[in-house]
Amino acid sequence: MALRELSSLEKFLGLNKLNKYSTQGERKVPVLQNNNGSSLVGLATISSHLVREAKKRELLGDSPEQRAVVQQWLEYRLTRLDNCSKDEFKIILRELNQHLVDKVYLAGNSITLADALMYYGIHHIVMELAVQQKEKYLNVTRWFDHIQHYPGVRHHLPPVAVLRNRVYPSSQH
Amino acid sequence: MTKEQVKSSAEEEQQAAQSKKALKKQQKEAEKAAKKAEKQAKLAADQQTTEEDDFAQDRYGVCVMMQSQEKLDRSLVRVCELTPDRAGQTVWVRARIHTSRAKGKQCFLVLRQQQFNVQALVAVGERASKQMVKFAANITKESIVDVEAVVQKVEQKIESCSQQDVELHIQKLFVVSQAEPRLPLQLDDAVRPEVEGEEEGRATVNQDTRLDNRVIDLRTTTSQAIFRLQSGVCQLFRETLTKKGFVEIQTPKIISAASEGGANVFTVSYFKTSAYLAQSPQLYKQMCICADFDKVFCVGPVFRAEDSNTHRHLTEFVGLDIEMAFNYHYHEVIDSITDTMVQIFKGLRDNFQTEIQTVCKQYTSEPFKFLEPTLRLEFKEAVALLRSAGVEMGDEEDLSTPNEKLLGRLVKEKYDTDFYVLDKYPLAVRPFYTMPDPHDPKYSNSYDMFMRGEEILSGAQRVHDAQLLTERALHHGIDLEKIKAYIDSFRYGAPPHAGGGIGLERVTMLYLGLHNVRQTSMFPRDPKRLTP
Repeated sequence: MALRELSSLEKFLGLNKLNKYSTQGERKVPVLQNNNGSSLVGLATISSHLVREAKKRELLGDSPEQRAVVQQWLEYRLTRLDNCSKDEFKIILRELNQHLVDKVYLAGNSITLADALMYYGIHHIVMELAVQQKEKYLNVTRWFDHIQHYPGVRHHLPPVAVLRNRVYPSSQH
Repeated sequence: MTKEQVKSSAEEEQQAAQSKKALKKQQKEAEKAAKKAEKQAKLAADQQTTEEDDFAQDRYGVCVMMQSQEKLDRSLVRVCELTPDRAGQTVWVRARIHTSRAKGKQCFLVLRQQQFNVQALVAVGERASKQMVKFAANITKESIVDVEAVVQKVEQKIESCSQQDVELHIQKLFVVSQAEPRLPLQLDDAVRPEVEGEEEGRATVNQDTRLDNRVIDLRTTTSQAIFRLQSGVCQLFRETLTKKGFVEIQTPKIISAASEGGANVFTVSYFKTSAYLAQSPQLYKQMCICADFDKVFCVGPVFRAEDSNTHRHLTEFVGLDIEMAFNYHYHEVIDSITDTMVQIFKGLRDNFQTEIQTVCKQYTSEPFKFLEPTLRLEFKEAVALLRSAGVEMGDEEDLSTPNEKLLGRLVKEKYDTDFYVLDKYPLAVRPFYTMPDPHDPKYSNSYDMFMRGEEILSGAQRVHDAQLLTERALHHGIDLEKIKAYIDSFRYGAPPHAGGGIGLERVTMLYLGLHNVRQTSMFPRDPKRLTP
């Protein structure tokens, strides 16, 4: 899963030469073998490296504050979202929904690596949501729809249908 | 002192203390007993004296059981008629004790008759004695009483009663039927909106308790309103169709063959053979069409042996069935049925507003919306709508319940209507007597009608050609021998016809925006409930 995600990310970053990856351990942590012999381990580490390679450092945040928030959401993705149980989906969706109330992107006013990785990570959850639930987590759905239509992000993932109008009365949530 | 001595002396002390305690206890108890005896004596004396000098003893009491001993020339005024116009009049009222609250020399009663109630007052004075007030306070809730009282205007509106501008000053009070002191459920708990109940931490009554004690539950204002409205649905249905020239028919409910496949019918033993309980008057209304009745309808019980324990399935419900011969296109029939439904909705909206509001107080819902003429969508359009919302489904797949509901929301959002017709269902998901679509054999001339996203009517143009009907029956693997009489009825000239059947309980439920069909069935029958 993580490997397809990384290849989609490479395409999004506009990297031409495709890297070779392997996985290690039970949790299939991605590993990138570098040209100079050293290896990079872990999704967040490799993605940050790819961003630098593509010379798109703005995706890691352009102020110290934004950089910190990007790191925070990368961490959230790896620690909270990945391998979480079905019961925790609701909590995560609620937290994200709350965070996105007044935001277009996860960190600051422009797309960052955090948005891309969070989109890849949460796709399978949003995909399974019923229309009523998508409406319940309205801010997540709005952000998700925006990211999936952001040029170059989606790649290997199927698009998720999102209704632009509310169809349920607000009392039914 | 040795250790033992210490011990024994300690024990002695303890014993002494104990006996002292015991003594005190005894004394106290004796005092108590004495007091009690004194009280009782006083009470007895009181009673004696009161019995002696109760000047009002003829004005209250428990009636002898009414066995129609006498014809009293007394007219009883209905609670809903107690208005300020009657101020100053002395009236007789028969009602239930809804609540009673004694306060010193006064006792306030709330008298209830169906969904109406009025405040009544017994106060010590010229006409009522202390004993009478006490008697009034002790009448159990839900007892039926006859009261003679003077209607009095009140300065401040009584918010808790339906008759807010008057109260009754009771002069005579007789219990006609006494209720047992403990009720299986409290009426006030049974009408409390659930959300509010949770917030306030006050009791509500759950569905099963209600249904187990249905007789009491039916007394609540909500139940009274629901079933008065349901009666309205039947009445409007009959009125509208009769005006359109329909004939009401009665069909047998014990039948020899299942109309829609044998899986979900009840089998009953019928002398030396077995029979089924009718799933719908389908076959009979069609035979009536062949017998030149042209337009027929039928109101009666229908039975489904489906083991579905859902909010909208019952094993016995009241079916409102329509069948009608048409000239050239089955849409003539759809128009006739939808117009009937619209007349019912209008009638309810115009004549049953009080009932709707009463139900709304407990179960809030948006007012029911409909269009004129009724919206008609084709099945293909519905599938497209659902797909746009991200639902994956096949072209000829039947609608699942969640998809039906979602479609209802999508239609409401797009067209702002709670009532619409879905036309041209895939032939594969409909019964054998459904007429195939002449343009596309995958589809059929069948339709469902929906209220608030739930199906209330299923109907179609029927095959009126014996040849095609035989083919379709064979295709569905039905034993031709068993439906011979049915097929034969089309051999001697049968007009093209279509129809449909509506579930009365579902219409009531969905019109009021309720969430369980048991709320709109007076004595519901489901796989798990056969009583009361």
